[in-house]
Amino acid sequence: MTEFSDALKTAASGMQAQAMRLRYTSENISNADTPGYRRKLMSFEAEMNRGQASGGVVAGAMKLDHSTLPRIHDPSHPMADEAGYFDGSNVDLVMEIADAREAQRSYEANLKMFDQVRKMSSSLMDLLKK
Amino acid sequence: MELTSSLAAKAYQSTRHATAPDPAGGAASRLAADFAATLQGGEAAATKAMTGQMDPHSLVQALAQTELAIETTVTIRDKVVEAYQEILRMPV
Repeated sequence: MTEFSDALKTAASGMQAQAMRLRYTSENISNADTPGYRRKLMSFEAEMNRGQASGGVVAGAMKLDHSTLPRIHDPSHPMADEAGYFDGSNVDLVMEIADAREAQRSYEANLKMFDQVRKMSSSLMDLLKK
Repeated sequence: MELTSSLAAKAYQSTRHATAPDPAGGAASRLAADFAATLQGGEAAATKAMTGQMDPHSLVQALAQTELAIETTVTIRDKVVEAYQEILRMPV
């Protein structure tokens, strides 16, 4: 029985990590027009339990993308300097959409695994019910 | 010998020790304790999720685990009851 519950736990941790990734993606998209905003990146780390890898995954520490910010020319902008330029955000919408789609696919894969475990355990119990 | 209700009660009293629960705890009672712990975990997760202290993934996982445990327990109970009825139906 513990294999089934471990598998459920692992799939749930994967779904949780992907949800976190989607959250960062939506934060990036909503701040695409914020001056000086750097896009947030997240990493995946193996989940540790008492010093041993438990098989699950956790969302690692959030990192900022330190690539150069684009200089946008708009003299009417309140943050523009004397030359009429200000720092935009380094969010690329195409990249964010691709990232969101990837998170969705990975989430679906974890969900399928979750369902698979449930189906397997209930078919095992069906064998006993006859 | 006259059969009275007090006599029957006395007879039941004398055989009670055979049906008393085993305090040392066999495999079945450990299984039951494990099952109760899983159920309580599921209930605690549901309460936490309702009050917004837990994310829905953990709730779904806890409930799926509870469902698994209930299904196992119900199946085993049905099997035990079936075996008992089989014994009762045995021609003597």
